[in-house]
Amino acid sequence: MNDPTETRFERRALAAEGPVAIALLVTSAIAALVIVRAPADVVQGVLYKILFVHAPAAFAAYLGFVLTAAGGALYLWKNDEQWDRLAVAAAEVGLLFCTLNIVTGPIWAKAAWGKAWVWDPRLVMTALLWLVYLAYGLLRSFSEEGPRAARFAAVYGIAGVLLIPLNYFAIDLFGGRALHPENLERQSLGVGIGQPFLAGTIATLVAFLYLLLVRFEVQGLRVRVERARLDEASGEAS
Amino acid sequence: MNILRAVLAKDLLSEWRSRDRLPAMLVFALLTVVVLRFAQPGGSLGGDPAQAPGLLWVAYVFAAVLGMNRAFALELENDALAGLALAPVDRGWIFLGKAASNLLLLVVAQITTAVFFSVLFGVDLAGVALPFLGIAFLGAVGLTAAGTLFAGISVRTRYREVMLPLLLFPLLVPLLVGAVQATAGLLADGRADPGALQLLCVYDAVFLIASFLLFEYVLDE
Amino acid sequence: MTSAAASAGAWAVTAVGLEKRFGPVSALRPLDLTIAAGSSIAVVGPNGAGKTTLLRLLAGLARPSGGRLEVGPAEPDRRKRRAGIGYLGHATLLYPELTARENLAFAARLYGVAEPEARADALVKAHGLESFADRRTGEFSRGMAQRVAIARALVHEPPLVLLDEPFTGLDPEAADALAARLAGLHAGGRTVLLVTHDLARAAAFAERVVLLRRGALAADVERGDSEPHDFEASLRAALGGRP
Repeated sequence: MNDPTETRFERRALAAEGPVAIALLVTSAIAALVIVRAPADVVQGVLYKILFVHAPAAFAAYLGFVLTAAGGALYLWKNDEQWDRLAVAAAEVGLLFCTLNIVTGPIWAKAAWGKAWVWDPRLVMTALLWLVYLAYGLLRSFSEEGPRAARFAAVYGIAGVLLIPLNYFAIDLFGGRALHPENLERQSLGVGIGQPFLAGTIATLVAFLYLLLVRFEVQGLRVRVERARLDEASGEAS
Repeated sequence: MNILRAVLAKDLLSEWRSRDRLPAMLVFALLTVVVLRFAQPGGSLGGDPAQAPGLLWVAYVFAAVLGMNRAFALELENDALAGLALAPVDRGWIFLGKAASNLLLLVVAQITTAVFFSVLFGVDLAGVALPFLGIAFLGAVGLTAAGTLFAGISVRTRYREVMLPLLLFPLLVPLLVGAVQATAGLLADGRADPGALQLLCVYDAVFLIASFLLFEYVLDE
Repeated sequence: MTSAAASAGAWAVTAVGLEKRFGPVSALRPLDLTIAAGSSIAVVGPNGAGKTTLLRLLAGLARPSGGRLEVGPAEPDRRKRRAGIGYLGHATLLYPELTARENLAFAARLYGVAEPEARADALVKAHGLESFADRRTGEFSRGMAQRVAIARALVHEPPLVLLDEPFTGLDPEAADALAARLAGLHAGGRTVLLVTHDLARAAAFAERVVLLRRGALAADVERGDSEPHDFEASLRAALGGRP
């Protein structure tokens, strides 16, 4: 399919989809194998393995939110629609992984801490980010489609990412109450957990990339289909 | 700078003649305080003084949202917002003018509400009036810096009254953490936590700068 | 930007492949249009033809989705470009709680005019607004508000004047007065662009009439030496009998 309105960046993204899909199959197969074979925890049994999804999902969510802000900034700077499409895709896929993170957390916490929801700073922060990107989606659907919606969303996406450092500052204020390990999870978790954790992280990030590419492509197609439909309709009217 | 002054003067003159923002903000803030007072365990008699600072700031946020929504609704009449967008100036200064008028009205509402609040909740604010005013001001700056930017956005979406709190509240949390922490410290032992004040200052600076730069794009079309 | 600098010659407009999309909707298809400095031009067309979109692009209120747009001296800075443009849209841009004089003074401040109060007074006189200059514009009739809005658009003596349906809501007398004022602006060496659906007004005022249809240029007619009445007739012919 050769569409002249397709940008070079979009063509590259499209070309990357196949290889990334294969990489996704391979890495998830490896992750599944490694995680299944990892020994069960003495205390938590098999349940702790949910962390191999939980923590990587958080990384992917943050990555999505940073990309949303970056796409928005590029759109404002270059006034090129493709960056807006990237921002939309990153926000949605980021929200998906953020949801995954928030859902898996309580499942594990209920077993490990005895309580599904604890007002831990890290948890609150993820919940806030989740709300910010939910609001981002609402903002898009509540404004008329077009450059204004894109611009507003870009402004909000950039403001939203500012929340991450400000939240860290606020968390410091409460210091010491954190239930989450502060250093990289991999090192603070028990011996023998490093490998499955790494496999889980890689597979999750590849999945993130694949979904991002597909969502980005769909967004471009959606705009083109709609445009073609309108052109046809106005052609018939005359 | 001239633009800031012109927009501020225009807004205040407009408000002085119509009085359609400040009275609504005041009544809403006072009402919130009363409602929260009665929503406390123990009804109108008991209540936990430790929660007082948080409740006060909730009332402030509600009043601010009401005022900022109104501030931009006024600009939509006769498409005056386009008139601002047409001006051959750095739009950051227009933002600062709008934010300054929002800030001024909010501070007036804050002081009035605080007096009412200290009576109703039996909290002594008179003894720490000056530092309290400082904290209220620092919080108000962050609140209007972020709020004015998003009000410029929300007012041109569908469901505009709902959109502003949806956009603003999740981003306000670090500011509220700082403001409530500082107020609580002040009320408990007459001294605000320096870390909380620092958080307030950083938040103010971050959103003043970000909104100053981003408002350019909010005013487009 | 002082008013002296802004009035140093009219501005020309060059659009090449100018395009505006709102999401999937094309409001303006790639459009080529050149407007000579100091000319008077009317843009006509049915509703949804892209007239207002074109005007808003020229005014700098909207950004093009594609193509190139030069307004005035080759000035890449959008801010300075806005200083040379007087724009009157469908709305009056006035604050209802402020008086006509205060509205004009505020506009003068926005454009950095040296003595805003004096400029507002001068505009009140020049546009014959004395009888209602110190009343709130919120109380004005459409015609009164429109007259103030026109004064507001000219507060910085712009070399390029853009007007969107300025005759709407005016009684015939006020409309004639406005037509005379527009002719005066053009005679004073400004470029004046008028969007209207009123072919008689377009023919009486403009040296050149451009027809837009569905976001594209459908006809471009010069008046030449013809009388307004003949010009109007030839316009109707060019438009195929459609307004």
